Amino acid sequence: MAASWPENPRLITTRITRLDGMAKASGKAKYPSDMRPEGTLFGVMLYSSLPHATVKSIDTSAAEKMPGVKAVVVIVKEGATLRYQGDDIAAVAAETEEQARDAVRAIKIVYEALPHAVTEAQAMAADAPVVVKGGNVKKGRASTTLEKGTETIDAAFAKAESVIEGTYSVPVITHVCLETHGLTAMWDGPDKIVAWASTQAVQGTANELAGRFQIPVSNVTVLTDVMGGGFGSKFGADIWGLTAAELSKKAGKPVKMFLDRIQEHLAGGNRPSATGKIKLGAKKDGTLVALAAETFGTGGVSRGAQFPLPYVYSIPNTTREHADVFVNGGNARAMRAPGHPEGCIIMEAAMDDLADKLGVDPLEMRIKNLAPKDFRTEIYLEEIAIGAELIGWKAKRKPRGKNGNGPIKTGYGMALHQWGGAGARDKQVTCTINPDGSVELRSATQDIGTGARTVLAIIAAEVLGLQPTDITSNIGNSTFVPGQASGGSTTTPSMAPPALNAVTQAMEAMFAKIAPAVGGAAADLSLKDGKLLVKGEAKMSWKDACRKLGMTSITETGKFTDGLSAGGVAGVQFVEVTVDIETGKVRLKKIVAVQDSGLIINRMAWDSQVSGGVIGGLNYGLFEERVMDPTTGQMLNADMELYKIAGASDMPEIIVHALDTPAMRARGVIGIGEPPTIGTAAAIGNAVTNAIGVRVTQWPMSPKNVLDALASASNQGKA
Amino acid sequence: MRAFDYASPPTADLALKALAGGTDTVVMAGGTDLMNRMKDDVTSPGRVVHIAGIKTLAGIDAETIGAATTLATLVASKVIKDKYPALWQAASEVGAVQLRNMATVGGNLLQRPRCWYYRTGNGLLAMKDGKSLVRAGDNRYHSIFMTEGDALFVAPSSLAVALIALGAKATILGADGKERTVAIEELYSIPKAEGESELTVGKGEILTKVILPKTVGKSASYEAREKESYDWPLAIASAHVVLEGGKVKVARIVLGSVAPIPFRSEAAEASLIGKALTPETATAAAAAAVKSAKPLSGNAYKVKLAEVAVKRALLAAVGQIYWEV
Repeated sequence: MAASWPENPRLITTRITRLDGMAKASGKAKYPSDMRPEGTLFGVMLYSSLPHATVKSIDTSAAEKMPGVKAVVVIVKEGATLRYQGDDIAAVAAETEEQARDAVRAIKIVYEALPHAVTEAQAMAADAPVVVKGGNVKKGRASTTLEKGTETIDAAFAKAESVIEGTYSVPVITHVCLETHGLTAMWDGPDKIVAWASTQAVQGTANELAGRFQIPVSNVTVLTDVMGGGFGSKFGADIWGLTAAELSKKAGKPVKMFLDRIQEHLAGGNRPSATGKIKLGAKKDGTLVALAAETFGTGGVSRGAQFPLPYVYSIPNTTREHADVFVNGGNARAMRAPGHPEGCIIMEAAMDDLADKLGVDPLEMRIKNLAPKDFRTEIYLEEIAIGAELIGWKAKRKPRGKNGNGPIKTGYGMALHQWGGAGARDKQVTCTINPDGSVELRSATQDIGTGARTVLAIIAAEVLGLQPTDITSNIGNSTFVPGQASGGSTTTPSMAPPALNAVTQAMEAMFAKIAPAVGGAAADLSLKDGKLLVKGEAKMSWKDACRKLGMTSITETGKFTDGLSAGGVAGVQFVEVTVDIETGKVRLKKIVAVQDSGLIINRMAWDSQVSGGVIGGLNYGLFEERVMDPTTGQMLNADMELYKIAGASDMPEIIVHALDTPAMRARGVIGIGEPPTIGTAAAIGNAVTNAIGVRVTQWPMSPKNVLDALASASNQGKA
Repeated sequence: MRAFDYASPPTADLALKALAGGTDTVVMAGGTDLMNRMKDDVTSPGRVVHIAGIKTLAGIDAETIGAATTLATLVASKVIKDKYPALWQAASEVGAVQLRNMATVGGNLLQRPRCWYYRTGNGLLAMKDGKSLVRAGDNRYHSIFMTEGDALFVAPSSLAVALIALGAKATILGADGKERTVAIEELYSIPKAEGESELTVGKGEILTKVILPKTVGKSASYEAREKESYDWPLAIASAHVVLEGGKVKVARIVLGSVAPIPFRSEAAEASLIGKALTPETATAAAAAAVKSAKPLSGNAYKVKLAEVAVKRALLAAVGQIYWEV
């Protein structure tokens, strides 16, 4: 019989410190970028300084002769086209990082510059240079849904009693992983590789390395004990990881290759921009009637920029036309809830603008338009009620521009979001119980910072009547049984079920084996507080019980079974801000995040995930923007100084509220990484607008964008 | 970063020798700016002369501040806080705690512009094919005053703004071993061609100290920025007023991060003379201060910020803070 989650858990749902928390906080934990096996060489990439160019010639002869240089690899052929600043050309491995950088500078490249387009405006201009063959703008077919009896979208809008039109824009932002992309590669003989990789997918990375060098994947070991953030941008070895392994093969020594901060911004991935020209119509009472949307965005030189719209709400008549715009910029990669923050911003801004025009409470308007047959609707209703209470919506919120004396205005905003977060069904965990009482779990998943290692240990400890610190939770090794790649909030829902099954099976196997020796039938045995119980009575310690196994450990492999995890979450966030209308400065006062995610395994790590999501989201809301120079095609803020990210002093009070009810627990485990980052930036935009009485249409809510919106409204006589 | 010679002399005289002995030498105090420029290949000196270990250059003695005094030390000084609040406020908002622990007074005054065209290797004037990259590009952080010329970066020093408002001076140890004292504003000039510096302290010279006036009036600084944590001003203003019988007798009003040099607004100063300092007169002075602003394509918002910064610095100087809730 498949295992089930305990009805009255002892550990699961409680707050438990991470097993590796102290090692991380004290600096003892070794990140992939800390790994320097004996003889390690430093790898440095040479990447394009131009946004668009043909490589006429590459001369590495001088570089190869430089002191300390052990290997040089040329990635592109002469005649190749470089399509963005940061595109890879060659790489050097040398004894020191400085030697490698000197050598990279000594590689002589003759470029033939080609005309470029690095912004959407440049790429969409009538006389734009060709970024990609087939056109810089790839327009999809309009997708239209009309309710029965309505012939056209115009006819639908004719039924609306109030209509708003607005254009809302979100810039390209980058992932800014604190640990940059990369790995350290070491060959063990001619056909075996060990790589310490900063990755969200140890097995995917191993497959990529094996494929590149035509060796069996069983000969490749990818290790990721801990890592410094991926957010969707670190699923493979990447060109620089493969190059590190190639340099290592050439030099016969390990090679450490991690991107510098500039290339991390340029080529390590980004979130597409999004602009939506929106027309939204409703009845007088706020019931939505129709949405017409023309949207576009850029995902770089070849990736799309799709995002969900309409978002969350049920609208009977919709039409949408989306265009992907290609620019000479690094490609987008999945970024924490791909598409959702953009869709949420555009939808929720339009919702608030329409509610304001109608003079209805935007909270009530949201409730009115929840999808009637969606299971999330009940969850939203519960979450909205809790969040409204926590922020003081009814008591404190005022209509637009009516809150505050002097230059400091107060505003409140909200946003709803949703996500899937269901697990994969083909992952496994092994559980070994040793005669010395030690317990080890293994799986080829990894901890990208979410506390995955601790989650598995909690499950084992729960079942075995032990403490999480009694469990060795061994992950981040590609040679273990298949584990989940950490994306889409799927790690915990994929890994918790096989973990529970593995541990339960191992316990049952142990009971069967030791029952005769402890004087009972297997069915009489149970575990509690570190003790073995026979017919409910404590007989011996866990360790003594394990000794009864004799010389042989027990190892069981658990698989996914139904009923332990689920998918589909809602979530609402509320924001309180003050805005100084003389300086355009937004101060976040309070953010309330009310979130469901089924059965929560570790409430401490869960709270931390939600807080972290909110912090990511407030950065999208207030600060982040990739700035490209139209003339040179360079990124102007490829650093962590002018690419702005909140520091401690920018943090508001963050209230995390878990919708942790019996009904939610009964759903099983659902992922939490993505959802809490979706709604924050949208709610901030709505709070700013509520404070100043003017819609700021361009994210982030910087002094420039706020003051420009106020000035523009003032020129039009609106404020 | 490229290889370089390094010297860490214990005295100023030895520092001068070390500076004279190398090619393309630079002085490093806290290194918070220089090291980043070196890592980014914007500055590649042949020799770095590190002066942080020269004891005579550090510390505060009455009105004299050693150039190698850290901003943390400056901010910890009660005298500075009470007597020269414009300076204290400007210093206390520089960077973040970690930076202020390393960064020095001299280094803050002589740091190079943060212009993102300069920092990405396009030169201080950022001209390409005879055209300004700044004018054609993203100039949200650039100058709004003196924008007729090619120098469109902004002078980055917050301390300079406050020190000029307070009427402070700087002492420079020349390559010949002789000291000279200049007004703080004389440390800066507007470069006319690529290759010229915006700093007047020459190669082989060391800024040794800053001297504040013994008697001062009321003063304050106000800085507008994007982030609360580590960030640069979008605009900063320092105001210094001497009141007599409730009327402004002397006013010095200086703006920062709005022009290629610290920008003193004589128009704003003149508008206040003989008047009481009130919200109305401060508002009028602020309007006068930005009358000559000529923003670029993407930074009109900074005119508003400069205006508000002047108004708030003036009102803060006389304790009329109306913008905090």
